[in-house]
Amino acid sequence: MQGITKTFPGVTALNRVSLRLRAGEVLALMGENGAGKSTLMKVLGGAYPPDDGAILIDGIAVTLRSVRDARRLGIALIHQELMLAPNLDITANIFLGNEAHTPRLLAPVRTGDLRQRTAALLKRVGLRVPADTLVSTLSTGQMQLIEIAKALSLDARILVMDEPTSSLTAAESADLFEIVRQLRVEGLGIIYISHRMEEVLVLADRITVLRDGRAVGDLEGDAATHETIVALMVGRELSRHYFPDRTASSDDDVVFTARGVVVPGAPAPISFSVKRGEILGFAGLVGAGRTELMQTIFGVTPAHGGEMTLGDVRFAPANPRDAIDAGVFLVPEDRKRHGLVLPMSVAENATLPNVGRLARWGTLDHVAERQIAQTQVARLRIRTPTILQQVVGLSGGNQQKVVLAKWLAMNPRVLILDEPTRGIDVAAKAEIYQEIVALADSGIAILLVSSELEEVIGLCDRVIVLREGRIGGIVPRARLTQEYVGALMTGQASGDPSHAA
Amino acid sequence: MRRELGMFVAFLCMCAGLWFSNPDFLGSSNAINTTRQISMLGIYSLGMAFVIIAGGIDLSIGSVIGLTGVLIAKLSSPGAGGLGYSLWIGIPVALGAALFVGLLQGLLITRLKLQPFIVTLAGMLLLRGVSQTIVEGGTLSLGGSPLLHLANGGVVEVAGEPLISYPVVIFAAAAAVATYVLHFSVFGRYVYAIGGNREAAEYSGINVKRVETMTYVISAGLGGVAGICYAAYIGQMSQQVGVAYELYAISAAVLGGCSLRGGQGTVLGIVIGSAIMRVIDNGINMFQIPFVDERGVARIWRLNPNWTFVIVGAVILLAVVLDQIVHMLQSARRTRAAAAAAGSTSGQEF
Repeated sequence: MQGITKTFPGVTALNRVSLRLRAGEVLALMGENGAGKSTLMKVLGGAYPPDDGAILIDGIAVTLRSVRDARRLGIALIHQELMLAPNLDITANIFLGNEAHTPRLLAPVRTGDLRQRTAALLKRVGLRVPADTLVSTLSTGQMQLIEIAKALSLDARILVMDEPTSSLTAAESADLFEIVRQLRVEGLGIIYISHRMEEVLVLADRITVLRDGRAVGDLEGDAATHETIVALMVGRELSRHYFPDRTASSDDDVVFTARGVVVPGAPAPISFSVKRGEILGFAGLVGAGRTELMQTIFGVTPAHGGEMTLGDVRFAPANPRDAIDAGVFLVPEDRKRHGLVLPMSVAENATLPNVGRLARWGTLDHVAERQIAQTQVARLRIRTPTILQQVVGLSGGNQQKVVLAKWLAMNPRVLILDEPTRGIDVAAKAEIYQEIVALADSGIAILLVSSELEEVIGLCDRVIVLREGRIGGIVPRARLTQEYVGALMTGQASGDPSHAA
Repeated sequence: MRRELGMFVAFLCMCAGLWFSNPDFLGSSNAINTTRQISMLGIYSLGMAFVIIAGGIDLSIGSVIGLTGVLIAKLSSPGAGGLGYSLWIGIPVALGAALFVGLLQGLLITRLKLQPFIVTLAGMLLLRGVSQTIVEGGTLSLGGSPLLHLANGGVVEVAGEPLISYPVVIFAAAAAVATYVLHFSVFGRYVYAIGGNREAAEYSGINVKRVETMTYVISAGLGGVAGICYAAYIGQMSQQVGVAYELYAISAAVLGGCSLRGGQGTVLGIVIGSAIMRVIDNGINMFQIPFVDERGVARIWRLNPNWTFVIVGAVILLAVVLDQIVHMLQSARRTRAAAAAAGSTSGQEF
């Protein structure tokens, strides 16, 4: 791709970006949210025509007018959200839209032949399941491999993978890397988009960094380090104050205790406690049961046994309302699904849990609502034209701040943050980190679930590592290192029980 | 409010066109009758709106209307087949039955997590059968009952004729209360939140099941009120009264700007939507074009009343097609704006 420029009304999304991909290499594409990665890949995939610049394949300029054009030329995109039909089997998914050789809708589907080709493809991606397995019975990691097999079935020469590991376990990710390396040997060019620095450093032959619609760096895989990439991505050295200092430590008042709490579906009861002003982290792989535990504490899926206490009082929420009434709030993992009513305004969302308390005789108090919304918008620096803006039009970081605003207006005692910075840019992250620390300093007990070890280690006073639904270890701040927590997550180390509070 | 404004302009144009073609359209007898029809449709469309805005659907409303009317006729008719009780018994019992049906359907939908479409479809068939059993396949006349005055009487008498019939008064009151409840009360905010994102509402501590159940109670309750009006208006009840009325209510709600996905719609929109539905119906009878045929005789061309459903269907389709086109244009603009914001520096993002 040479000098690709794409402008949208009022802004240049891509400014003369050039990108070179050789056969048999893995090129990592990095950049903050909004740097232009997706736009660039949509141009390559034929979804957006570029305003200027050229796309050359084997030195020949090509015009991509549609996704079909791109596909015919051997360019396959694997989206972050997988595009599979769960009600169909693997074969049907791989050959969806490509069932018969003749493009007649009523041509018979040659199931036997397709099954054989599917079996060959599955072998190539290292998946040992029958070709007629229903896709809905597969794990996310296996579905990812089906997407790759689908791309291979189209004889793809260029494979674009957008955040392929974002919902995979460590073992599944490792398998995926193996396949990617093998495809590289087979001569495919692979463009790999990821936010995970470790993966990129392990996997990529070269790294291209985008910032504000420009290609700002092109690094050889060996020469790249964590710091050089981040510096290119944000355009400055990461400030040391990215994670605010935590000097004020928690006091000894235990706010919340769980004793033998049985999370529905979990293999073992869980016990822990958190003190006033403490940030207690929860680390673990996807599927370790962190979100499920938080949902039990918040009353979404009530516990099957055990006891929780809040202060000196027994706490047994049967639904989120009970938890909210007691001052236990949850910022959910999936903000669009559980956190926000997207067509509603910033003000309506920010006051949704609170609106009943503000009202008198069931009548909404618009003045109070707007005051609260204004206060929170100012406090959290939510970038929105007005508080009457629909949240659907805000960026991810600002949407996340609106979810936070819902609860900050209401005096939390225990605030549960489930992946509070997922999918938001570095600047918004830093602001949210500061807010988390400020909240802890004001005496709120915080339960922080995060898949970013950096974040857990940078913020938490203590970290509970969950592994397959059990507590794998409890690590105090002094012993927090990426290596140790990582080893506990995968079961390569065992926790020190003397720290179990 | 864009949708409401557009539909209001369309409504005014329709009225102006009809009045131009046939001045009797605004004549007192047609105007009184049309506003009464609009009001009776509007009353239960408002109920339907609560359900639709919360993301549900109520197919049973036509049968609830029928059942309420039949119950009143059975209980309070002084004539043959009636039990001759006072209206003070008949009306509360009929309304109570409607509310009970709504509560039952709401509980089935929220507690057993059944689909609203199925539950209210079953309700529609079942209640129709109950009505049929009560009237024993025939009709029950309300002749001589003071209830008839409810539909024919009214306020603001001009030359001995009431200009504003009681159903209009009831509709105005219902619309006022609905405006308060939907747009100014906590309950209304919850209804919109549930329609916009049920799970987020649950996670915000809203008692989703209770609010949702209430919407079905409101729908059936207003259906009951409409049923009483229809009984009074028609003067005799058969099992056929109310058939397909749920479709009229859904149409009025959609014309007025409700989305069947939930979370959208206003009381003003429902009022306008109901008015349009009834003016179309009435307009098909009223519309006429005078012309002189080849033999020089003055004649009047009228619409064939058999076209009624064709025209109603076409109008609804046209309204949603236009709305969707506007929606798609807007969302394309928003996508471009978002992509533009994403391409600019993070400090400028909105």
